[in-house]
Amino acid sequence: MMIRQITAAVTATVLGGCLYVAQAQNSSKERIEAFAKLPDWSGLWEWDILVGQADGQQLSPEGLSKVKALLEAMRPTFSASWQPKYDQAMKALDAAVAADPNRPPATQQPCVIPPFPATYLPGIYEWRVTPEETTLISTLGSVRHIYTDGRSHPPKNELWPTRMGDSVGRWESDTLVVDTVATKPEITVIEFAKPFPVTVPMSDQLHFVERIRMVNHNEMQIQFTTEDPVALAQRIQAAITYARVTDINRMIDDEFADCGPGTDRNPVVNGRFTTVVH
Amino acid sequence: MSRVLNYTLFSIAVLLTASSARAHHSHAMFDTTKQVTLVGTVKELQWMNPHCWIQVLVPDPNHPEAAPVEWGVEMDSPLAMFRRGWRPDTLKAGDKITVVVNPLRDGQTGGQVVSVTGPDGKPIGRAAVAEK
Repeated sequence: MMIRQITAAVTATVLGGCLYVAQAQNSSKERIEAFAKLPDWSGLWEWDILVGQADGQQLSPEGLSKVKALLEAMRPTFSASWQPKYDQAMKALDAAVAADPNRPPATQQPCVIPPFPATYLPGIYEWRVTPEETTLISTLGSVRHIYTDGRSHPPKNELWPTRMGDSVGRWESDTLVVDTVATKPEITVIEFAKPFPVTVPMSDQLHFVERIRMVNHNEMQIQFTTEDPVALAQRIQAAITYARVTDINRMIDDEFADCGPGTDRNPVVNGRFTTVVH
Repeated sequence: MSRVLNYTLFSIAVLLTASSARAHHSHAMFDTTKQVTLVGTVKELQWMNPHCWIQVLVPDPNHPEAAPVEWGVEMDSPLAMFRRGWRPDTLKAGDKITVVVNPLRDGQTGGQVVSVTGPDGKPIGRAAVAEK
């Protein structure tokens, strides 16, 4: 009796093990096939307006031209009920700048890890594409997780505003379509002649859609749409381009978030820039 | 005097994001309609975030007996400078250089770099393009 029990137990274990191995192999094969269908976005990338930028951060003529076009495309049209909020925010910005032209207003945080979408900024970007997730990492320290495993956004009672929001995506052939909600309910707007951007509160229905694809080996395009049926009279639609980085092959941390009140070198004190050596 | 193209990159870079990046100061503090040429000696090349700096000791050619004046020259981040050919040891204390800057509006001795010419007379890094 004891021998039969032991034999049965061993047989069950062996069979169970074989089944587990078979399932794992099938999963591996499926996963490999899933990987093979994904586009190759490997390498390093940068926002193309920065190509040709000078040592003092001056943009090239081409970069400047692109920026002007982008600013125009991204100019928001607020709803009638929301326009006063923008006007108020702009008034506060003007007052803050008048008080100290060289310091960002209190609403602007000095040197934080860039929040959503964290795509149109200085620095270098790297995409990590897997069947379950595409991750965007930048040298400024931002990390975006875009889940592509078929999940939807969590239910509302499991979401709260965060710097990166919640992003889910799906592949449409070689295009990654990303849907993002639950970012901080605000947007930052640039007026070209102003020295600082203005942060405008938005409604909790703020929503973003991005369409990302590699146009050719050296170029990626990100089309983005900003929607807020309460705050915006119409969607904002624009596109940016990434250029492949070929002069460097590693992600060097830009230590951007180290810049803060304790390390800021400005303003000038007693006739010279204050310096802090790390 | 030509005017270099100079727009605050950070302000461009935060379009419609939740909050701004690199908002530690505004480039409006520099007068981009003016250029000042500094001929002097390197006190220090500071390789640090968010900006690299060259501290330059600039003698007054009209008063050579006076102590040189120290200028702070602001440049881009280390990563950006590295990609344009700069290295942490590109300049050393005592190197004779010529630097063109957009000066501070308030008249203090500081500026945003337009171009740098090294001790060997050759340009270093990438100079700003003049507006046509």
